[in-house]
Amino acid sequence: MLVALIGFSIRDRDSLSTPEKFLQDSIGWMQTVFHKPVSLVDNTIENIKDMFEVYEQNQVLKARLSEYKGVIQDNQRLESEIEELQNTLGKTEGLSDYSPIQATVIARSSDRWFEQMTINKGEEHGVEKDMAVMTSDGLVGKIKSAGAFHSTVQLLSGFDRSNKISSWVIREDKDEAFGLIEGYDDETGRLLLEGIKLDEELKSGDTVISSGLGGVFPSNLRIGTVEEVVNDQYGLTKTAYVEPFADFFDINHVMVVDRTAETVDTQTEAEGDET
Amino acid sequence: MSRYIIALICLFLLVMQGMAMSMLPAKLVYSDLLMTPHWIFIFLLIIAIFYDKDDTYHAVWYGLVFGLLIDVVYTGVLGVYMVTYTLVIYLVHGLNKWVHANFIAASLLAIIGVLLTDTILYVIYSFVQITSMTWGDYLLLRLLPTLAANMIFFILLYPLVKERVYFWSEEVKNA
Repeated sequence: MLVALIGFSIRDRDSLSTPEKFLQDSIGWMQTVFHKPVSLVDNTIENIKDMFEVYEQNQVLKARLSEYKGVIQDNQRLESEIEELQNTLGKTEGLSDYSPIQATVIARSSDRWFEQMTINKGEEHGVEKDMAVMTSDGLVGKIKSAGAFHSTVQLLSGFDRSNKISSWVIREDKDEAFGLIEGYDDETGRLLLEGIKLDEELKSGDTVISSGLGGVFPSNLRIGTVEEVVNDQYGLTKTAYVEPFADFFDINHVMVVDRTAETVDTQTEAEGDET
Repeated sequence: MSRYIIALICLFLLVMQGMAMSMLPAKLVYSDLLMTPHWIFIFLLIIAIFYDKDDTYHAVWYGLVFGLLIDVVYTGVLGVYMVTYTLVIYLVHGLNKWVHANFIAASLLAIIGVLLTDTILYVIYSFVQITSMTWGDYLLLRLLPTLAANMIFFILLYPLVKERVYFWSEEVKNA
């Protein structure tokens, strides 16, 4: 019976069974109820801690502010340019367009072998399986399963070969290099970006973003920076170790990213990524 | 009546288990050491020792139900916690016949229970390839921290609930 149950749950399921959804939601609601007062206390302590650092932070921020003004103008100019170009092409939806769904983390899997957490938004709010989840820092994971009002997020740190993200490495003077985020190195806490062509040269410090070619994630989601590049075990491709932008442990608020462009149905496309 | 209270406490612990992982300071919970809270298991262990008589198996049934709930809510792999909790609590229930119900014996049973539970979880999960840790790493990085964390919880919980549970047990017997 144990084997049957495990077998049932471990195979690639498209959605949870109804009783599972029901349980997930009921526990989710209870967690929300308890979450409110606990996070209140938590936040108050955090706020008091912050108050001591306000002065220093203010100095740094003031210095940065003038920099940003220039960046904003640049940004606006580029954006209008893109829009113009897209209009001339008759193309209205880019891969990078998405609408965010704000959510709060209400619990984490108590077993550390499962890098999962529960958020307080579900199918009723538009969350679907396989959507990208990010914090303000960068990508943190994807929706593993969606209940009616709560969903489970699979963190990048729990990714394996069945969860790939097609991504680009942004380089200063060359085109983007393509690669797939295929796993996570527990010991160093870095992501593995595999399948990079041998002749591509990567520097440490290059930024890794999602490419949007996998069919589900939008493009331009920030993932991390390249730290180290090695040849893979057969010497056919390169593997880069990527230091993620987001902190996978201290997550409170997340954004579920709903891609505007049509998503590829991963079932018909067996070789599609991010399945 | 006491049965419903026990179920409620278990439910509360289930919710808190996940909350604790997201609320406790990250440095403590997310160091290299993998600590897994088995709070429900600890509570059910106390129930098995002080509430159940030799011929009642309430704790075992609770283990079955709440093990399944943990599976659904926190891991998504059904049956693993369910079977493990049920089995180990049944064993503890059996062992309990041979020892006196006092603090020393109870903590001894708790140590054995947590060790056994976590090891069985590890064996099952490595069979289905959810974890690929080696035995050596597992012992150092997960089993010992988990044992320590849960024993702290046991020592905190024991004085809080022991008298109450014993009282409920008498109440059920006399009713």
